[in-house]
Amino acid sequence: MTASGNCPTGTTEERELPFSFTPQLFHLHKDHELFEDGDIHRHMYLQDLYVSGADDEPALSVSEFACHISGCSAVFSALEEYEHHYNSLHRHVCCSCRRSLPSARLLDIHIQEWHDSLFTVLAQRQDMYQCLVEGCGQKFRTSKHRKDHLIRIHKYPPDFRFDKTKKDRGTREAKRPQQKDTAMEVADDVCESEGVCEVMCDVLSEQRELGETMETLVEEEAARMTKPAATMEHTDLSAAFDGNGCTSSETFKTQYSYRVPTTVCFGHSSVRGFRGRRGRRK
Amino acid sequence: MFVPIALRQARRDRQLVSKRLLLTEDEEQREVTMDTASGQQDLVDLLCKVQHSGPERGTHLKALSKALRDPSEQLTFIKQENSVNLLVSLLTGSNAQCRLHAARCLHELSHSPHTNVAPACLPATPYLLTFLSGQSTKFTELCLYTLGNLFPDSDVVKDKLLAQGIIPALANCIENQKHNLAVVEAAAFSLTQLLQAKDAAEKIIPKVLASSLPSQLLSVLNPDPNFGLAPAIECAWCLHYLACSDGNGELLALGALSHCSSLLMSLGGAVAEGNKEEGMELLVCPLLRCVGNLVSCCPVDSLSTQVGDVRLVAALCAFIKAYLHTQPALARESAWVLNNLTAHSTDFCSALLTLNLVPGLIQLLPFSQGINTMILRVLANVTHKKKESCLQLAQLGLLSTLCATLKMADQEMVTLSLEILFMLVIGRPQVADEFVRLSGVSLLEAIQYNSEGEMRRRAAYLLEHHLLSHSADCTV
Repeated sequence: MTASGNCPTGTTEERELPFSFTPQLFHLHKDHELFEDGDIHRHMYLQDLYVSGADDEPALSVSEFACHISGCSAVFSALEEYEHHYNSLHRHVCCSCRRSLPSARLLDIHIQEWHDSLFTVLAQRQDMYQCLVEGCGQKFRTSKHRKDHLIRIHKYPPDFRFDKTKKDRGTREAKRPQQKDTAMEVADDVCESEGVCEVMCDVLSEQRELGETMETLVEEEAARMTKPAATMEHTDLSAAFDGNGCTSSETFKTQYSYRVPTTVCFGHSSVRGFRGRRGRRK
Repeated sequence: MFVPIALRQARRDRQLVSKRLLLTEDEEQREVTMDTASGQQDLVDLLCKVQHSGPERGTHLKALSKALRDPSEQLTFIKQENSVNLLVSLLTGSNAQCRLHAARCLHELSHSPHTNVAPACLPATPYLLTFLSGQSTKFTELCLYTLGNLFPDSDVVKDKLLAQGIIPALANCIENQKHNLAVVEAAAFSLTQLLQAKDAAEKIIPKVLASSLPSQLLSVLNPDPNFGLAPAIECAWCLHYLACSDGNGELLALGALSHCSSLLMSLGGAVAEGNKEEGMELLVCPLLRCVGNLVSCCPVDSLSTQVGDVRLVAALCAFIKAYLHTQPALARESAWVLNNLTAHSTDFCSALLTLNLVPGLIQLLPFSQGINTMILRVLANVTHKKKESCLQLAQLGLLSTLCATLKMADQEMVTLSLEILFMLVIGRPQVADEFVRLSGVSLLEAIQYNSEGEMRRRAAYLLEHHLLSHSADCTV
């Protein structure tokens, strides 16, 4: 596969072209597995056991779809299921701490409350914690107040998953078999997004102190990022968790060294790092 | 059709031996298999009776042949001293009836599942070979099937038969009895047994290719409307085994590719019209394999001439469509042939486009079991060869289908999809716009989190160099 002249950056890019398709001829020997079924039919014919028409064998199956996100083992038989899964679990992801939130609004609130230093400052003087229920509009001085409000007024459960405080992060959820509808609340190793602020540092050091790692629910294990901030190495989201649980102390074995360009973020247009950083490109 | 697992395993172990049993005339007429239990006489007793000559000999011999249908009786028989020699003497004796019954006895023995029976029958083989050029149709058939059944069971038998000249004997037989299709069928069957031997490539196939057999087989290939498919089926299987080996130069020189292709085309036409004759797939299968392997050895610049008609691709698509659900393996083999045809030939790639076969192929991409990967390969071949048709391909639905195939669990599908996407985008930059419009960017972004480096690198490259400049909403 040779590169055409369309590459804007010229020969360097051509050398690094990751595409390698070339048309291939396949000459098959008589015992090749592709010929297995046909050979068996021939055998049955010679034994006078052949019946023309549909086999009793399992019918032709439709190819499965699978979630690409490493560590997510979800498999689907229909495209709509895949879309639903992806949109529910992988779209609104915080670039800072990799948590997946179910909606853009909750993502916004999360970023504001967890990763925005300005918020922390303002919250000392005024009611900044928004009620999570859309349309309610009320704000509260602390997250506890908000939580009480949610429980009392909006009848939310006390352990509502998307209302965790920063301190709650220490708790690891228990490992459960991957279910498609399980929300992904993962505080995986943090990806070093562009620039760091005090809040982020705290997040990192806090996480490292607790020795937190995430257990994956699949054979593939997400990488643990251990490289310094200079390199942009993304980790992979590990599988979803459910309910409350205990800390996992399992460490990862594999480490990805794949580099994602800074211009790309997960969940096109719905993932943000810091406020105010949108639109800036590296 | 129930396929026992043991059968599959035997095939995978390359131990599948297919013997053929010629039914007796009684059985054919009554369509009832021989009941070995009823009126069963003691085998040894029967043998004694046969040994003593007399007017009843033929009757006893016939009873003996019935008894020999039973595998355990077969073992008992060969353990009796001089039992086979007795049969041989009757086989070559002056009584025509006894010859026939003796041949029938040997045939039953040859069909034994016990591999130690065949070597016991060795004394008979030189005579069986001699009789191939004479006698009645029924007798010749019996001899042929007997020889074919005996061949695979042991190396001793193999070597003896080869030394005794089984190949020239078969060649002469077919040549001299060309118009006797029952005999041709039997001879071709025997030949298939020879050609499947483990060391056939060294010991057998060169001799077969050097003989008149290949051209004889080709001449019988077209099914006789009265006799049916059976002789053509056997000949096609012979050609398949020959084409699998390296001797394709000889076959190509004889016009085998052209012959098989034109036959496939007429069968494809019948299938497309819904005329599926019972058992047609038994003929389609070996023909597909012949063409597939011959194409892979044919020089590209003579491919179109050798095949003869580019519309073969239409026949192949018809087979895929017709057999997709009933015999997916056959659909897969057809797709394989399509791949080989389109791999290096612009003519065949063009044909797929001009005959408007691409949309039909695209619709097959949801199906698994290796069919979709092979078809995606075919589409990749076309994209690769026909760069000027990139926009057309995209518009025919390839691009929107890629949005689905990129989400599949099968890694090969995803990788091939990325390759095709790259070729399309390189071929026509407008394709990139369209892909973005189809929400393809988020798709590729997701692939960047795939555990497979191969996929990540391709997705990243496409995003970096071809797609993100189109993205309206710049991400961080």
